[in-house]
Amino acid sequence: MTEGCVADAKSGVRLATRSDGVVHKDDLKDLTSLAVQGDRTAIESLLAQLRPMVVRYCRARLGRVSGQYHIADDVAQEVCIAVLSALPRYRDMGRPFASFVFGIASHKVADALRSSVRSAVPTQDLPDGPDEGPGPEETVVRYIEAEHARRLLSRLPDNQRELLMLRVVSGLSAEETGNVLGMSPGAVRVAQHRALARLRALAELESIA
Amino acid sequence: MTTVHPRRPARRYGPDGDPAVAGTEALLQSLSRREPVPVADDVVRLLSALIEDVDHDLAAGQRLSSVSITPSA
Repeated sequence: MTEGCVADAKSGVRLATRSDGVVHKDDLKDLTSLAVQGDRTAIESLLAQLRPMVVRYCRARLGRVSGQYHIADDVAQEVCIAVLSALPRYRDMGRPFASFVFGIASHKVADALRSSVRSAVPTQDLPDGPDEGPGPEETVVRYIEAEHARRLLSRLPDNQRELLMLRVVSGLSAEETGNVLGMSPGAVRVAQHRALARLRALAELESIA
Repeated sequence: MTTVHPRRPARRYGPDGDPAVAGTEALLQSLSRREPVPVADDVVRLLSALIEDVDHDLAAGQRLSSVSITPSA
């Protein structure tokens, strides 16, 4: 794994792990190759990189149920398990690994959306100490605005919605998004510009109505 | 009789040179990196709220799912 090395977009997807405001570039392709061979450390690193992006994607697509993300988080977990299960059989055929992962995620989300079964909502344990998080008013405002954003995004054509979800919510770069969707980075930049313009037009229409 | 077609205006910018496209890229890149962005309109505010909502408790290391992911040895 080469730290600080930025790959040519053609050679594979490199996903950024962002913690403590520091951006590290890890070679997902090399990591995937090691993980496929059963390297446990590589598998854990791969999961650590993929999981937050998959969770964000599933949360953004599925939203909250009864105020919680437990279904979205379970679906994200199923995606990671499916990726893990498929790893030994995965062969690099030139298709970026992220494309493979988000392909699975997209199908799992679609399955969850089709499913009418809503399981019981688990309740969180009562905290022992004071809650340092945002207050109830701030939380409700954020919740309402996030739902509004989801509603607007759901009115976009599938390709534009998927692009904005990957680019903005999952946190992929234009190059990485292009690798997942089979587009050039330039095409992603133009498409995301159009998608955002459309989103603004939809918001404007809503505010008039 | 010769029909005269108005000349189509030449494209001033390529896809990477259009300032509007570049402006959107800069905005979305900042949102993607979770950097602070000026809330210029409702859509930026709503997208920021969605990001904040999906990121909530993600960095805190909390258990996110009841489904175990630990690979077996």
